[in-house]
Amino acid sequence: MRKNIIWIVFIFSILSVNVWSQENGASEEDGNVILKKVDENLMPESFESYRKLINEEPDGSKKEFIFFTVKKGKDKVAMLYISPASEKGRATLRLGDNMWLYIPNVGKPIRITSMQSVVGGVFNNSDIMRLDYSVEYEATIFEQNNSLYILDLKAKTQTVAYDKLKMWVDKKNTMVTKVECYTASGTLIKTLDFKNLKDFGDGIMRPAVIETSSPLNKGYRSLMIYSQVKPRKLQDEVFTLEYLSRIGELRLD
Amino acid sequence: MLYAQALPNAFSQDYDFDIPQEEEAKIEFNGNLDAKWGLLQTRKSSPFYGLQFYDNPEKSDYLSQYRLDFYLDGAYRHKKVGFFMKTFYQYAKEEPLSPSFFELHGSLNLSPRLSLSVGKRRFNWGKGYAFNPVGYVNAEKDPENPDLALAGKTSVYINYNRSFTSDYVQNFSLGAILLPPEAEINEKFEDADKIGAAFKLYFLLKNIDIDFMTVLKKDEPRRVGLDFSTNLKESLEIHAEFSHANNETKYYIVDDFISQHKKDSESYLLGLRYLNRFNTTLIAEYYHNEAGLSKNEFTSYANYLHNSLESNNSEMIRLSKQNMSTVFRSKTLMQNYLYLKLTQPEPFSWLYSTMSIFTIFNLEDSSFLLSPQLSYKPYTNYEVLLWPILFIGENNTEYGSKQFENKIDIWMRFHF
Repeated sequence: MRKNIIWIVFIFSILSVNVWSQENGASEEDGNVILKKVDENLMPESFESYRKLINEEPDGSKKEFIFFTVKKGKDKVAMLYISPASEKGRATLRLGDNMWLYIPNVGKPIRITSMQSVVGGVFNNSDIMRLDYSVEYEATIFEQNNSLYILDLKAKTQTVAYDKLKMWVDKKNTMVTKVECYTASGTLIKTLDFKNLKDFGDGIMRPAVIETSSPLNKGYRSLMIYSQVKPRKLQDEVFTLEYLSRIGELRLD
Repeated sequence: MLYAQALPNAFSQDYDFDIPQEEEAKIEFNGNLDAKWGLLQTRKSSPFYGLQFYDNPEKSDYLSQYRLDFYLDGAYRHKKVGFFMKTFYQYAKEEPLSPSFFELHGSLNLSPRLSLSVGKRRFNWGKGYAFNPVGYVNAEKDPENPDLALAGKTSVYINYNRSFTSDYVQNFSLGAILLPPEAEINEKFEDADKIGAAFKLYFLLKNIDIDFMTVLKKDEPRRVGLDFSTNLKESLEIHAEFSHANNETKYYIVDDFISQHKKDSESYLLGLRYLNRFNTTLIAEYYHNEAGLSKNEFTSYANYLHNSLESNNSEMIRLSKQNMSTVFRSKTLMQNYLYLKLTQPEPFSWLYSTMSIFTIFNLEDSSFLLSPQLSYKPYTNYEVLLWPILFIGENNTEYGSKQFENKIDIWMRFHF
């Protein structure tokens, strides 16, 4: 009898572990599926957009920048500064983990890092030239209720700007509403709030405003406003160092 | 954990904004005006000082300089055709100004893969920040101000650019440049066989930028080189350049006469950029130039200038000044240099300011320059810059014999 009980406990333990693993696996899979859907809802596969970035400083003053951005696939982004005059003609390129900055006076692209900020303020380069979340992160469902998922995102590699993200997703439209960015040790670096859901046409409905603040930069706030997002077919050669100084030509086509 | 996301609206302005329209065909101008005032402490023991101010013997220990540098850029684009100019005017006293065309070229950009330009345009080869041993078609860079706009070269440039979906070569481009020489025959013509050519092949190979380049010109050494840059870590970039020259002419002084000899020589650069968690950027570069002067050769050169000056012979002085601005004109005359620059945006929470300090250390003679900088951008399109430079070293060292001991510049820059 005692032997049978041991066997029953043993078999039950094996089954429990197996069921737990399956549940955990299912949770991970669901998290990644949701994350991919979030990416799809934020941006078409290939598009152009105009954005305004506002940096608000602790003394209340503001600095504003307007960018023209093109993106193709999951990991190609190029961006041109349109205003102010002091920044006009600058361009940045991101191919996966690689980032470059082109300054007209310097006349060649130089490598930059995702943690730098070429415009100052709370947004860094990886925020402004963000790749699809699913390219950089593995997602699991941390918590959910009738209206929201909270996803835990862990960076796939060490080159990603933030080690961990916590993402709030509206279940109704699988749209991100908030992201918290953490270091590996769990320190909150910044919070991104996605607001003002807007219909941009061509079936694109997404938040038009991303607001960010950081406990590390008290008093600073930054705002990114999308004014135009539209699908566009782009050649791969648009996303190259050679083309970076010519990216403004795309605005004429 | 689950709570409503309704945060108070931190920005009260309307979220819509006007997109600056790009018209199909228009000419557009922009540029900047730099107003510069400088105070310079002279080094009267310097032969460079003595020769430069030979015709003005009465001088105080301090000189001041005021000038306006005006850059006007113009661009016109219509479909695949474009035109670009960058002009430079310098105002120092009331007299008619004439523009220097730093760039003036037309371009035909048939597609993102193929482009062509004809005219004067600027090239900037190499991965180095302060030095570029492979900058065969670059204007000569001043390591004291590597970001300064410089004059381009008259050229015909064609580039083919191609991307691949691959885990190895993601992009390559091939650029070919024809380099007509300056017109010397009746100021309009030049021998056709003096047209030079330069080629550069670029690869993005497994997240590494790699270039191979060469330049071929009649009566000049053939040069071949390569460079690369990559990110070792998210916050650490490394870069390097290597150049080999066949039969490079080296000039040096023997017994107060200029001598020269030809030999193969190599130059190279090793560098890095590092960003720490306090947003401080470090740029470090080591530059070796085999064709540069050794410590003893520089001492001979400085003695030659001294002796010319002391001779009071106007012809010798004219010749020395001419050699200073031709065969010995390089900003990096000697063989081994170390460049270090630290940049800190918004130090001590000073909004809109950037503080930096850099040094160029001559490893041959242990002389160096040291320059802290403070930049402040209180308003959009306006910048003010405070820029002292100290030249430190013993007599007859490179930086210890500069014509000025110290100088301080104040710049005000307006963009439009």
